[in-house]
Amino acid sequence: MAAPFRSCDHCGKPAVVHNTVIVNGKVIEHHLCEEHAAAVTGQPVGPVPINALLGQLAQVGAARARGPTCPSCGLTFHDFKSTGLLGCARCYDTFAATLVPVLERAHGGATQHVGRVPPAGDAAIKHRNEQLERLARELGAAVAAERYEEAARLRDMIHALRPQAPDAPGTGSAGAAPPRGSVP
Amino acid sequence: MSMPGALRPTDDSDVVMSCRVRLARNVAGMPFVGRSTHPQRREALEAIRSACGTAEATGSLVAAAGATGPLAWVDMPSMPARDRQLLWERHLISRNFADGDSPRAVALTQDERFSMMVNEEDHLRVQVLRPGNALRAAFDAAMAVDAALAARLDFAFHPRLGYLTACPTNVGCGIRIGVMVHLRALRLTNELEKVKRAAKELHLAHRGFHGEGTDATGDWFQISNQRTLGIAESELLEVLAARVVPAIVNWEREARRALVERQRLLVEDRVHRGVALLQAARLLTLDEAMKQLSTVRLGVSTGLVGGPSLDTINRLTIEIQSAHLRAADPSIEGDDDERAARARIMRAAFGVA
Ligand SMILES: [Zn+2]
Ligand SMILES: [Zn+2]
Repeated sequence: MAAPFRSCDHCGKPAVVHNTVIVNGKVIEHHLCEEHAAAVTGQPVGPVPINALLGQLAQVGAARARGPTCPSCGLTFHDFKSTGLLGCARCYDTFAATLVPVLERAHGGATQHVGRVPPAGDAAIKHRNEQLERLARELGAAVAAERYEEAARLRDMIHALRPQAPDAPGTGSAGAAPPRGSVP
Repeated sequence: MSMPGALRPTDDSDVVMSCRVRLARNVAGMPFVGRSTHPQRREALEAIRSACGTAEATGSLVAAAGATGPLAWVDMPSMPARDRQLLWERHLISRNFADGDSPRAVALTQDERFSMMVNEEDHLRVQVLRPGNALRAAFDAAMAVDAALAARLDFAFHPRLGYLTACPTNVGCGIRIGVMVHLRALRLTNELEKVKRAAKELHLAHRGFHGEGTDATGDWFQISNQRTLGIAESELLEVLAARVVPAIVNWEREARRALVERQRLLVEDRVHRGVALLQAARLLTLDEAMKQLSTVRLGVSTGLVGGPSLDTINRLTIEIQSAHLRAADPSIEGDDDERAARARIMRAAFGVA
């Protein structure tokens, strides 16, 4: 095994199948435990010839490539849909477009936090500004390379990150409320 | 409420067994637990433990939680399965957290008023627990714990979405404010719908004795907020502490009064049968014990029977669970041993040898 201690993409168990596939020019790594490898291929791991398994995993990879992949943790849209869990902080920006309806359903239409903020509020703002800078750079590169789908996605992410004026359009009724809550 | 304080038990413990405030937090700059390798999980655990484990940090966390020290750190993978289940039965850890072998730990004070799960679904799950209805006290303590933690750890926070959690249903405040209530009378009078409807209208969740996806074993229910985004922590507290909990407490008391006034014989019959069964049984399944205990609790809280105090009955609901029985009596092997031990505990509690 190349990686000494990887856990399964879907659960915490040790991965026994490690595979790298290239889909649309993107390198995607799969690490699966015995159970999930079996679930993916529909067969237990043991008796299946390894190349048959790899072929099937490549197909899974192709299916997964629909929708964005988190550049920070590698979570695919498929992963998110199957577990309902996000992989890292950046996933919230990566899957922003899909998340808005999910959040609205779960939180009575709200998409804007109004509660406590960490005492290091300045650090959060600094972090946001860094993210905005990085996204703006990526947007420039995407437009230059005529990757318009990606550019549109980046624009959405930048829009979602920007502090909103109270009457900003398109933020939904509950989402337009300005932050209140306690600031320690 | 307009009711004079003297007429109302201060802690509503006839209906409210306990209250809990839980927080979900993630360490900034690290992938969430489900997306982390074992070394990354170990790293997150170490980061949290070294930030919270010093004598100075422990002191301020325990003081903020209003708990009594010391804070014990327990490594989960090296803990025997029975002890993990014991922590689950005490509502200190979740079922998922009890199983598995990935790096994770629980920190808890001896009085159980304060506990933290590290590497559950989120890096940090904090719990402040109080017996009876002490929601405001539990809330204040949880907020103080959050501040003490934030002074030591950098949490993943999004300027628009708030505290970031692995599951989008917890994002924003990352808080669950909840009570465990005993609604035996409302169930007998078929009025539980009232509670469920009110919960739904106010975006609250109702679950069974052991959380999500479990039956309401013996008429115990957990009520907690579902929304965490677009609403401030203090508003969530007000919805529960000022509206929902007093309403549920009054409904249950009203149902108890109505039962005793209008159907006294029927209730007495059930309660006394319950006592007799618990005094006589030599083998008790958990389900049967919980059911009878629930009915007896109704009898004790309405003064229809003497018997064990409400505190004792509350304690029994925990102590008759499987891992608790096995921890108290290591000679237990099979299910029959367990049922026999459960029956012995009941007979002792009800004054029969
Ligand atoms: Zn797996
Ligand atoms: Zn991610």
